[in-house]
Amino acid sequence: MIVNRVVETDFPEEFIEEIEKSQDSLPRKIDANPGNVEKGLAKLVLTLIELIRKLLEKQAMRRVEAGSLSEEEIERVGETLMKLENKMKELKEIFGLKDEELNLNLGPLGDLL
Amino acid sequence: MKIYVYGIIDSNKQVNEPVYGLEKARVYNIPFRDVGVVASDLAGPMPDVTEDSILAHEDVVESLMENFTVLPVKFLTVFDGKENILSVMENYYSDFKDNLNRLRNKVEFGIKVIWPGDKIKEHLIKTHKGGAQKVTASDGSPKKRFMKEKFEKYKIDKKFREKASKCINAMDVFFSKFAAQKKLEKLKTENLLLSAVYLVERDKQSDFREAFEHIRTARDDFRYLFSGPWPPYNFVILPRKSHPFKISEQAAMFDKVFHERNLVGADKT
Repeated sequence: MIVNRVVETDFPEEFIEEIEKSQDSLPRKIDANPGNVEKGLAKLVLTLIELIRKLLEKQAMRRVEAGSLSEEEIERVGETLMKLENKMKELKEIFGLKDEELNLNLGPLGDLL
Repeated sequence: MKIYVYGIIDSNKQVNEPVYGLEKARVYNIPFRDVGVVASDLAGPMPDVTEDSILAHEDVVESLMENFTVLPVKFLTVFDGKENILSVMENYYSDFKDNLNRLRNKVEFGIKVIWPGDKIKEHLIKTHKGGAQKVTASDGSPKKRFMKEKFEKYKIDKKFREKASKCINAMDVFFSKFAAQKKLEKLKTENLLLSAVYLVERDKQSDFREAFEHIRTARDDFRYLFSGPWPPYNFVILPRKSHPFKISEQAAMFDKVFHERNLVGADKT
């Protein structure tokens, strides 16, 4: 029987690095001090928009894969997704946010990004 | 008097051996029916979050684990007086009891696996051919090119995830033989292939450990982290609607630190 606890690895640095990367970037609270209330809220809202955008994109890819979209539909979906992505880029720039700051842990589904 | 709580145990008897917790305070058991809440008095304000205080909490939980079934309580859980504790116990006794019965004689192990995900992805990108043809009009409008690029990326990601699932399943088969329950997280990062916790019966610990050794020697380009036995942090199930133990803001803020400190065999769910 194993009596004492062990933490065993030959590569502690690598694990620390990966674990740090995997931590949620979304804060547990909105940082709403007068200086950056806008950024805090923008981060929260843009994270949710990004979630919806990713879901739309994934759904579209599944339909392309299944061959259930016509040429016209592919073009239309492509235009929508492209505009949405560009708009997100603009908003991220305006609020000084990076891609990795809009990550969201979706529990069993994994991370958003 | 504020009371600091470490865990709930399947005994209403006093802790025989002297155990000391945060601020070196003597740990005692507050009996409730046939179970008990292990606690110590907190004379001053909420303790600071330091490595010492985190380890003091963890040490108490682990020393209890040697003789009892323990439901570990989150770091920095403090009550205003014994009455409040007893009131929580009154309301949640059956939930605690169910958990204690389910977790009796079981411990938790954590396994993390790093794979060369970045290299695997790079290889997939290089070797990826076709797939995007379905989008047709390869040199069409920017909208179609956009879709084509997205679709190629989607296919590569899909293959990548399938490869990851295959590797995880191959490993999990060995671990699951000796585990009563498990929680697996795939690809928390591109390289962190697996973050898993397994609930293992005490008398199967050696078998579980052997299974790990078997896996570890199978591939030398994978990195492994094995930890445990821990109290079953990840397998306590309590009703979510009204959690009995409200933790302090400080605790919530530093919860991350606590779990990192546990080296992460134990990922919060």
